[in-house]
Amino acid sequence: MAALATSWLLAGASVARAQVTAEPTSAVVFPDPNKFAHGLYTEGEIGAVAFFGKAGEFVSPGFAIGAHVGYDIFRWLALQAHFLGSTHQIADGNVLSGQLLQTYQGTIEGKLTLRFGQTSIFGEGGVGLARLSTNALYALAVEPRYRVGFTAGGGAGADYHSLSRHFSLGIRGDYLLMTNLSGSQELMATTYLRYTF
Amino acid sequence: MPEVMTRLGRFALALTALAPLGLGCQDLNTPIYFPSPAMPALAVDGMPVMNNPPRAENGLTLRFRDPTKTERQTLDMQTQSLGFDVPWIQRDHVHIEMTYEVTNTGSTPGMWNIGIDGANEYTKYDENIVAMVLGQGNNDAPQYIPLIPVTPQLLGPGQTVTGTVREDDFDEAELDLDAMGRWMAPFNAVLINNSQVNPIGLSMVPPNVVIPALIEIDVNFTADAAMSCTYAIRVRDDDDQLLHDTIDTLFSPTPALFVPAAM
Repeated sequence: MAALATSWLLAGASVARAQVTAEPTSAVVFPDPNKFAHGLYTEGEIGAVAFFGKAGEFVSPGFAIGAHVGYDIFRWLALQAHFLGSTHQIADGNVLSGQLLQTYQGTIEGKLTLRFGQTSIFGEGGVGLARLSTNALYALAVEPRYRVGFTAGGGAGADYHSLSRHFSLGIRGDYLLMTNLSGSQELMATTYLRYTF
Repeated sequence: MPEVMTRLGRFALALTALAPLGLGCQDLNTPIYFPSPAMPALAVDGMPVMNNPPRAENGLTLRFRDPTKTERQTLDMQTQSLGFDVPWIQRDHVHIEMTYEVTNTGSTPGMWNIGIDGANEYTKYDENIVAMVLGQGNNDAPQYIPLIPVTPQLLGPGQTVTGTVREDDFDEAELDLDAMGRWMAPFNAVLINNSQVNPIGLSMVPPNVVIPALIEIDVNFTADAAMSCTYAIRVRDDDDQLLHDTIDTLFSPTPALFVPAAM
């Protein structure tokens, strides 16, 4: 009797079907770096420039302001033009101490970027020209009689992208050789705001 | 397409905003420095010479170009309209400043003093000539009256001091020299007095005079201990009148030496 009752109950049950759901193929990325703007960009920067070597003995570190204009060929490779002006005081211990000196620099650079989500690091390098506003270093017998010379060098930095697809900000440092300033180099350290169109 | 235009517009705006930075900085500070003829330029050993502190002196002449034909015509027209000669090298267009460094190279403290003389395209002033004229007929110590005096200072052994003779000091000296040379001003009155405080002696100077700038700077260094002095001349040349390595010819005036009437 019991077996008959059990058979009746099972015969009335409908076919069971399990619900199958697929595993997600990847985690949700937010913000998605692929949605960040890339292509033509500009950067405005402020910071400092310090001279080393022979010129460093006579020129104090100074305030700098500059800009980059560049184009992302790929997300990891860009070409950019860099313009930077800085103002310095002639250091103590010589007849021109306290006099002002400005430098104007322009370089063409390549830039490689490695991105980790909103953050990226980059390396850059290039060549260009530097112009001194006065012949003060010539008067101090630091340099030959010139005001315009070649520069070459590179540096690195870190960038943090905002949730806006256009804006990011970062820091960078570059070390350049000044070929016409005998035995002199310069270090520029700046912080920047970048806008990608 | 409109989005592309908007982007280009923003890009152009960004570049336009940056451009004045570069252009503005370029015009802020473009002087040219002339180092003193030797390093150090002037050195004295502190040993008195005929009971007077030892002196050392030298100077440099700024090299300017001749005016072009058009500039010469402009100067001639200005001369005709004003009724007196208009100089080629003018105080309003050539601004001079001197920086100096004095070091006590001896083992005893001492007083040092700098006196600056010079010449414009009409007149040359030399305090040594003036002292010689003033000293005729007496045995007093020479009385030096420079075009620009620098306040004497005491300097200890091994110490170094730097200083600046500013553009307004040279402006005053250039007025004084022109007043003495062209406008019959009593030299001691204009040199001792600051014209902005007491314009005594300047009554003959026309109010619309065009004042010549110095084209020669002479530095007299005096110290009663062993000291050295190095200096540099800074020139801001508004109209690009300094002679560069071009086809321009050298401006070569022959200023007359100022000699005061014997007192």
